[in-house]
Amino acid sequence: MTQQAASASRGLAAVFSPLRSAGLADQVVERIEQAVETGLLVSGQRLPSEVELAAALGVSPVTAREALSSLRARGLITTTRGRNGGSFVAEDFLPSTRGALQQLQALTRLQINDLGLHYSIITVACAGIAARRADATELAILRTYLRPSQETLLSWRLVDSEFLLELAAIARSARLGRELVRLQADLGTLTLLPYTDKAFREASVGMRAAVADAIEARNSALAETTTKELVHALIHWLLDEHSR
Amino acid sequence: MAAEKIDVPAPVRQVQSLIAGIEVTLEKWAQDLGKDLSDLKGMVAGAAIDGLVQPAVKGLLARDSPELAGAGFIANSGLVGPDRSYIAWWQGPQLERVDALANFSPSSMERYLKAEWFRIPVESGIPHATGPYIDFLCTDDYVVTFTHPVRREGSAELAGIVGTDVAVRTLEQNLIRGLRQLGPAASLVSAEGRVVVSSSLSLEPGDLISLDDAGLSYPVGRRFAIVSATEDDAPRG
Repeated sequence: MTQQAASASRGLAAVFSPLRSAGLADQVVERIEQAVETGLLVSGQRLPSEVELAAALGVSPVTAREALSSLRARGLITTTRGRNGGSFVAEDFLPSTRGALQQLQALTRLQINDLGLHYSIITVACAGIAARRADATELAILRTYLRPSQETLLSWRLVDSEFLLELAAIARSARLGRELVRLQADLGTLTLLPYTDKAFREASVGMRAAVADAIEARNSALAETTTKELVHALIHWLLDEHSR
Repeated sequence: MAAEKIDVPAPVRQVQSLIAGIEVTLEKWAQDLGKDLSDLKGMVAGAAIDGLVQPAVKGLLARDSPELAGAGFIANSGLVGPDRSYIAWWQGPQLERVDALANFSPSSMERYLKAEWFRIPVESGIPHATGPYIDFLCTDDYVVTFTHPVRREGSAELAGIVGTDVAVRTLEQNLIRGLRQLGPAASLVSAEGRVVVSSSLSLEPGDLISLDDAGLSYPVGRRFAIVSATEDDAPRG
């Protein structure tokens, strides 16, 4: 009956969407990229062999080889033969603002706005709960992410994402935390761009400090407003840049 | 309170035995692993650590699963190399290896020194329980992590720590009934006053309570307590 069809959940329709193989090798590539971006692996260092990499990530050596050759094809690693040979992290592996700009221009305003809305909803929710639950140690950790210890673009981007992740950690919601990690992966290198702007950098320090102050004051409403301002500032910067 | 030992109610003893059981298991594992590592002289290769740790984790997760979400060993600097750490940690029924890319990192020590569950037992030499907290490094879940220092004979420096993660939801499944028997406002709390499981509907895991006016209190393991508000303090409907 049509009545019955209309009442079926739209969520369930997803069950019948086409199945995609997630691409295990792509996931390995993603892990290595994240490891370099967060400073866990560094430019010039030797990467593990196919066999070591496979064992470490729980994939087959074939998958590890596929991942390494994909990284090699994109120039992110170099491979030398011989006794001291192996794969090395390339000097220009780190995400560039050029790549991030290309990523930005590939998006529509609609997509940026929607991403911003999602980012804002999740982080604001975390901030509200965090104001209720933060202890002194956690506040001290949060404040280490106001400003990076080094003046590099990557360290600015790192404090940007770590500050918000710390809000999720303080809020202690596993679901919101996982959602935030996923969202930050979706944002990719986009968050690098606003930090090329000196005025934005300094303003962001003040905005993060305002969030930390609100959480220390156990003021949930203020923590929510200030977090919203922080995320909106980032998204508005990207929208401005997009229309340039 | 001299009579406290005799007066401990059965539900409290059940919680104490679960937590103390985990702590005793870790203590014994730390001793065994310490002996095995002492037999290997000098620097130890990562593969040798895996060979010692993985069978132990497999046994632990098989025996105590689903209580334990994951377990493993993390090397202090000096065991595999100067200023280097090494993680041999597995989780879940499939024994999924976690964070292993960090083993190739020049900054692996710094990574673990940031974490309370590593830093405190390494700096103090005393077993520790961290949390409840969201563990973004391994489980992506809400957990309590128990860690115990591992000593090598003839070495002043700690070899590292063994540890295990217990999901807060697992603790709730095991403990909520007993807490309800104790009263309408009985909670398992950390040393910081952070609620892990509570029979009170107005307290969620993660909330902070003041331990000063908590009413009756029974120690649980090294770093937890069960607090039970007296009838005067209990929330009224």
